[in-house]
Parts: sequence; C-alpha cells; structure tokens
Amino acid sequence: MKKVMVGNHAVSWGVKLARAEVISAYPITPQTQVVEQLSEMCASGELPARFIKVESEHSAMAACLGASAVGARAFTATSSQGLALMHELLHWAAGARHPIVMANINRALGPGWNIWTEQTDSLSQRDTGWIQLYCETNQEVLDTTIMAFRLAEQVNLPVMVVLDAFYLSHTAEPVDIPEAALVDAFLPKRHAKLKLDTAEPRTFNSLVPPSAYMEMRYALQQAMREARTAFDEVEEAWEQGCGRRYGAVEAYYADDADLVLVTSGTVTSTARHVVDQRRAAGERVGLVKVKMFRPFPTETLRDALAGVDRVAVLDRNLSPGRSGIFAEELRAALYDVPPDDRPQVYGYVLGLGGRDIRPDTIEAVIERTRSADVPLHEDLWVGVEV
Amino acid sequence: MSELRLEAKDLPVSRTTTLGNKTGSWKYIRPVYHDGVAPCNQGCPVGIDIEGYMNLLREDRVAEALDLLLRENPLPAVTGRVCDHPCEAACNRKELDGAVAIHAVERALGDLALERPAVAMPVTHQEQVAVVGSGPAGLACAYHLNRLGYAATVFEAAAEPGGMLRLGIPEYRLPRLVLDRQLEHLRQQGINFVCNTRIGLDLDWSVLSWFDAVFIGTGAHLPRPLGLAGEDNPAVRQGLDFLADVNGGARPDVGHAVIVIGGGNTAMDCARTARRLGAEVTVVYRRTRAEMPAIREEIADAEREGVRFEYLASPVAFGEDSEGVVDVAFERMVLGEPDASGRRAPVPTGERFQHAVDLVLLATGENASLESLPPEVKVGKGSIEADRLGATGHGTYFAGGDVAGHDRTVAHALGAGKRAAIGIDRRLRAQRGEAVPELLPADLTALSLGPQGNLSMTRWRHDDPVRRVAPLLEVVGPEQLNLTHFEPAERHPDHKPNGASATTFAEVNLGLTRTEALAEARRCCNCGVCNECELCLIYCADVAIRRGTNGDRFEIDLEYCKGCGVCAEECPRGAIGMTREGL
Repeated sequence: MKKVMVGNHAVSWGVKLARAEVISAYPITPQTQVVEQLSEMCASGELPARFIKVESEHSAMAACLGASAVGARAFTATSSQGLALMHELLHWAAGARHPIVMANINRALGPGWNIWTEQTDSLSQRDTGWIQLYCETNQEVLDTTIMAFRLAEQVNLPVMVVLDAFYLSHTAEPVDIPEAALVDAFLPKRHAKLKLDTAEPRTFNSLVPPSAYMEMRYALQQAMREARTAFDEVEEAWEQGCGRRYGAVEAYYADDADLVLVTSGTVTSTARHVVDQRRAAGERVGLVKVKMFRPFPTETLRDALAGVDRVAVLDRNLSPGRSGIFAEELRAALYDVPPDDRPQVYGYVLGLGGRDIRPDTIEAVIERTRSADVPLHEDLWVGVEV
Repeated sequence: MSELRLEAKDLPVSRTTTLGNKTGSWKYIRPVYHDGVAPCNQGCPVGIDIEGYMNLLREDRVAEALDLLLRENPLPAVTGRVCDHPCEAACNRKELDGAVAIHAVERALGDLALERPAVAMPVTHQEQVAVVGSGPAGLACAYHLNRLGYAATVFEAAAEPGGMLRLGIPEYRLPRLVLDRQLEHLRQQGINFVCNTRIGLDLDWSVLSWFDAVFIGTGAHLPRPLGLAGEDNPAVRQGLDFLADVNGGARPDVGHAVIVIGGGNTAMDCARTARRLGAEVTVVYRRTRAEMPAIREEIADAEREGVRFEYLASPVAFGEDSEGVVDVAFERMVLGEPDASGRRAPVPTGERFQHAVDLVLLATGENASLESLPPEVKVGKGSIEADRLGATGHGTYFAGGDVAGHDRTVAHALGAGKRAAIGIDRRLRAQRGEAVPELLPADLTALSLGPQGNLSMTRWRHDDPVRRVAPLLEVVGPEQLNLTHFEPAERHPDHKPNGASATTFAEVNLGLTRTEALAEARRCCNCGVCNECELCLIYCADVAIRRGTNGDRFEIDLEYCKGCGVCAEECPRGAIGMTREGL
C-alpha cells in the first residue's frame, strides 16, 4: 500500500511494523512528529507498545536501556541538542550491547540557535559504538528503520537511522508500506540470550579491570566488523521480500568517471540530477552515496572509487579545526591505496545550518575540483560570505 | 538470527546468580503493608466505607460496591441527594485537582440499589425492637437491627413514614418517588411500619413494654418562638409547617412577596418552595453568606432561581396586618467576635428598616419535643441524654438523632441510628448471655473509622473488610500520599441543574450517569489502602516484592529486602509503612 507521508511518519510506520515493544522519547524539533504519531499509535492500541514519557533525552535513552536489558525491542528518536544530551548513555548502549534503534533527525547544534539540517550532531557521536545509517528518501527511511532492528539484534549493537531535518522529516513523498506479514517474517520477535531475569538474577556491567576491559572492547570491534557484512545480508533479505535495497555504499555512474561526487543524505538527490545532466553532455562525472558511516565501509568505498582521479566530498558537517567529516574519513580510508591508484580528495564544507545546496552549488563544486590540480586546503568552503 | 552470537564473555555479566547475596541482612527497618483509614471514611457521619466502595467501583465491581455501601447506609438514594457531604471536605484529592464527587457517586449507587430487588432479612433472634419515629435516625436503627436478625417495628405519627425526609425536604431535592421506593425496600427487607400512631399521646409508652428494646428517634420539629411582637400574625408562619403542607401536596397562595428568616437548609427550602409558588422571595439572615449553615449548593441554587438575600439583618417586630400585608421591622447587624459556633456573631447596630410582605416564613431552628417522652428517660438541656451508643438512663430505652441533641443533619441521624443499633444488639446479646465487648472508649475506637469517625457496622459484625489485610485506625492525610503518581483528572460536574427548576417541583439536580459515576470513582486515591497498583513491585530495586502465593496482594521477601524504604516512599496511597518490628 502506498501512502503519502513525511519522513518523520515514515520512521513511525517503520517502528510500528517492526513491532517495537518500548518507546521512550522526549520531543524536539524537528523530531516531534515521529513520537507524536507513535504515541497516538500506542494510545489507539494499533501498536501494543509501552510508551514511556520522560523528562529528557538522557532519560529516554535510559528507559530504552532498561527495556532492552529485559529483552524488549526498544526505540527512541531525537535530534541535535537532544542527541548531545544522550551522549553518555550512547556509549552505555553500545558497550552493554543493546540492540536499540534510534532515529536521529539531523539538525545543526546551537548556538546560533538553528533547527535546520546539518549532520554534525550524529557525526559527533561517531565514537560511541553506534551503527549509523543515513537516508536519502522517505521510502529509504521506512525501509532502513525496519532493517535497523534486524541488524541491531543480529550483532547486538545499537543502530542510528539518520535523516535530514525538513528535507525529509517534514517533506511528504509517496511511500510504499510493506505488508505486516512480510515484515513479521523478516523480523521475528527479539530473542535476547543475555538479559535481566528476576528468576535467575545476575549482575550486569559491573567493574571491569584492565585485565579484561580490552577483550570486551575487542568484542565490540568484532561486532562492528560483523555489522558490515551483516548489513548486506539484511539488505539481501529485505530485497527478497519487497524488492528494494540501498547498499552500504551506492555507486552511480562511478565506474568510468574521472570525477566522483561523494554524498550522504538528501543532497544525494540533487547531486544525481547534476550527474545526469553532465552525463547527458558527455562528461564522465559520477556519484558515490555513503549510506553506512559506522562501521565505515572502507573496502567498498575503495572499490567504488578505484580508477577515479578526483573525488569531491560534499560535507554538510564540520569538525572544527579539521574539515568535513566524511572527507576526513575518506582520506584515511584511501591512504593505504597505492599512490598511483589513489584519487585526490577535495573536501567541501557546505550547506551548514540548513543552507540550501542547489544544483548550481554542485556545479560550482565540480568546476572548482576540475580547476585545481590539488586541493588548496583540507576544508574547501562553498558559498561562505566572509 | 537471534542474539546467539553474544557470549557472556563479551559483557561484564556475573557467572552465578546474585541470589547468594542476601541483601536482607543489611536492613534495620522493614516495610509493612497496612491499611489506614481514608479521611472521607472518618469524615462521613454515617460511617460509610467510601474508600472501600470506590475501590470496588474502580474494578467495575458495582454489585459488591452496592453491598458494601448498604452495610452502613440504609438510604443511599436519599443521602446521595440531601447530605451536606463532609466526606468531600475531608477528601485528600482536593490537594491535587478537586475532591472526588463522592456525594454524586453515592446518589448514582443509591439509584442503582433501588433497581435491585430488596433482600428479605431472616429474623434469627427472638427479641423484638420498637423504633419510635421514622425519620433517618429511626430508619437507620431499624434497618441495622433488622439486618442483625431482629424483628423491628417502626411507629410513626404521620400517615406515611419518612419523618423530616418526607415533611421537611422538598420534592425538587428529594423526589417522593425516590423516598417511597427507598422505604419500600426497607419494608421488603422486613421492617414493620405502624403509621398514624403517636406514641406518648395516642398510645401510652407502656404499650411498648413487651418490646425488648425501644429506640426513640422522634426528631425536632417544634417551632422555636422568636418572642417578637406580632409573631402570632397568621401571615407569619413556621417554615416547617409551610414545607409540610407543600410537601404533602398543598399549593397555598403565598402572595407576591415572601420573606424567609434564617440561613439554614430549612430557610433555603422555604425560599425555593415559595419561589416555585410564584412569589418574589427574600431570605433575611443575621450574619453573612460565609456564615450560613445551609449546604453551599442549596444557596447557589436559590440564588440561581432568583431568591434575593438580605444579609446582616434580624427581625425585631411584625407589624399590623393591613389587607393581608405584614410590615416586618428589621435591625441592621454587623459581625463581631466569633461565638461558640466559631462563626462571627451578629451584633445589633440600632439601625432599623422595614419590608412590607404578604408572608413571612420563620426558619430559625426547631426544638425537640420532650413533653411526651417516657418518664424513665432522662432529659437534659433541650434533648434526651444518651451515650454514644444511644443508651439512656433506662436500660430498655435508646435514643438518637435530633431528639438526642446530635448535629441536625440526615447523615448524623443515620449515624446515630446505627450506633444505637449496635448498642441495642450488644445489650440484647449480653442479656442472652453472650460475651460482648466492654465498649470502653478504647473498644469503641477499635470499631471506628478513624479516631473521629463513626462506628463501622462491618467491624461490629466482623464482616469481610474488603481488601484490607491489616487495618489500622490511623487516618491517612495528604502528606502521606505520593500525589505525583496520580494523573490529573477533572472532577465531574456533580450538580447539573435541570434548567426548568424555578417553576416546577421536578428534581433540580440531574446527577451523574452510571458511566460518569464509575469514571469519577476512578479519581479516588484509595487513601491508605492497597489497591494492588503494583508500583511497589516495580520500584523495589531488589525485586524483593512479589505477588502473594494466592495471587492476592504482595509478599516481601525479607531475605532480600534491604529496608531501603523506596516502596513506602513511592506508594501513592500511604499503604506501606516502615517498622523495626519483626527483625
């Protein structure tokens, strides 16, 4: 069944179809509609989940941790400052290996106070141990939300589904809603092997001495490694059910390209449009969309960019004192490629705080990339008035 | 695909269970479930287990709620309409979002009770009891004695039973149909009524000598003269006489302008009744609205119906009747220091003014009729002297209600009748040679709904206390509740005027529907009594609280309870305490 819905409601539908058992969240623009609709679904009984009202995002994550600890399928959603407030417990969720799913609506951090889209909030949580999946369309949001639960429960790691403020969260698109039976077959009820059980109580997450801590972190890293291949398996299964898959990395006209744009989130759609036009004009421009940020799909990106001369990374985010974060990650991923095969990485910082990235913005990025043999800086700013 | 890949070695998880760590050894105090008294229960002069029936209604156990209500109150359809509901003034929920509309819920229950067939009570004792006077005190005494297994005969001076309920309370507050059905239930239960019989006047008290006990509940209906000039003017009437006429079906001509003197419920009844007969009515009261003893809703209804109020004025003389018009002279008052009643007393100023009216209705109080009492009964200042259980100086005679000087409300009369029933039952059982409680003040307290509450028939009869496992006598105040656990819920509007009230004698207040009443009952905090909300079970950090083995209430596993007190702190209704005992 197709239904026109905003991205926030695509999240809600995904959570409903995934039969989340506990939902706890605190409202924040632009996330509010997600939990608003979920609370209505819970109130009406169409989603038989426990909806827990809390006084902060920190408590929302704490409630999800508690729910997950007893084996429940838990979900929350937030944005920007709310995600930042959760930070401590994001480490806890991953360290304690809770397969919690969270939707984060990308929003710039204040000050200056800003509710528009930017990826710095989610990328700031890079080292918390959460799997991060970025979305381009509302359909991708719904599909990714469902897939996220299966992936999370397979590798025992929390998953963050990330979507752009307003461009997705508040923009309506037709979305195909899969049949409940199909989703149930794809995603059975969670079965937690290690969980709090009053019949056989155990101590969880007590003091771990230096003699054991590293092994625990190694296990976490192994789970992240597994998550990379597990994601492909999950997508394979989803494609069999409903015919759609996205890829941890999607290459678009990248095979024979001499210049490739690297994007994530909704800017990908704008870039596709520009690539189509350039291709029509005979120019060998391509596109690589990065959906999975953690675990970082290093090998897949190396393969996708093999033989490309120049890579222009569009970063709607900033690590102050360094550069755009995707560019930084990509440079590191490509460093071990033999120098002769290694593309030149041009890292563009643009669209911060929700500033529009239009086709002509991307045209300008292509021109700048073509006109300089080497990037002048690690961070190339686009459209800044100084 | 399940989480089987996750191994215990990947997480800091204890290898054995934590059951070996018996945290119970840490404690020096322990929690204990106890059941306190809700303040409404103590506040009810009848001594109804209000909290108890609200608790049952919360689970839609309506029939059981009715049974519990009827254990203590013979006339819920009546009190649900005319009681001044001190229970609501005591309700802890007013600290949150308004007292529970107990009065309205009781009325809904009372009406439901009338829809059930009355249950005939088997007479299991040989002793016979006579009740003189069929007002609320007499009815209550007869009702409870009958339910205790005694044959009870009620003697009434008027043609029909009901006493002040029938003669004094207008139909628009208490429809005759409701009163008649309520009395029919008492008849069907087994109470014998003998009307048109004035004991002490038509028949000598000695005719009752073959009864084993006699309850005197003859009320107070003698006019209390003001001692003012012109009081004998035919256009100056006793309010109660006027009400008895109209309540009996008469529709006297009251003229255009009527003055009612007084500020109690009789004054409101006179004013609103005269209004319905077409008059412009002014209530003259010597203090102000704040000091008026009438039920607040009655004052508000009178105002809404167009009754005018003249405060701080007292009559000094009733002038000559010229063509049916009375000139009433008043003196202006001011409020002085509080008097014995705690209300500020009216002080004369010397300033006079006059009103010319067609009818004056006096509603300044009534005296008990003490002339025709049996000589053995000791009479004190204006009333029979009787103890808390109604016993007079003479063994056979018990008394209660207005004639025994109790607070003059229907609820107090019902409460006094119940206490006298306990007193009579105790005396007759003692005469049969049964062991009965001493009934020292301490014993009476054990039967009471709180130190100031009325006696509980449930406790006297050792009936199932419903949900209470460890009854305490302590009343639970708002400070013992954890109000944060209650969702705000607005009180149902309990006074819904029918819209046509100022012209007809149809019942003014439409009351709550069954659905509304059940919803209102869910606002009850069940103060002091565990209603198995399970918060203690959820909050216990040691998972030391669990459902009882029979699924009823909760058990505390003292091997693991470390005495932290979180359960007692979080209990929304103060039903858990901490104690040193039993450690």
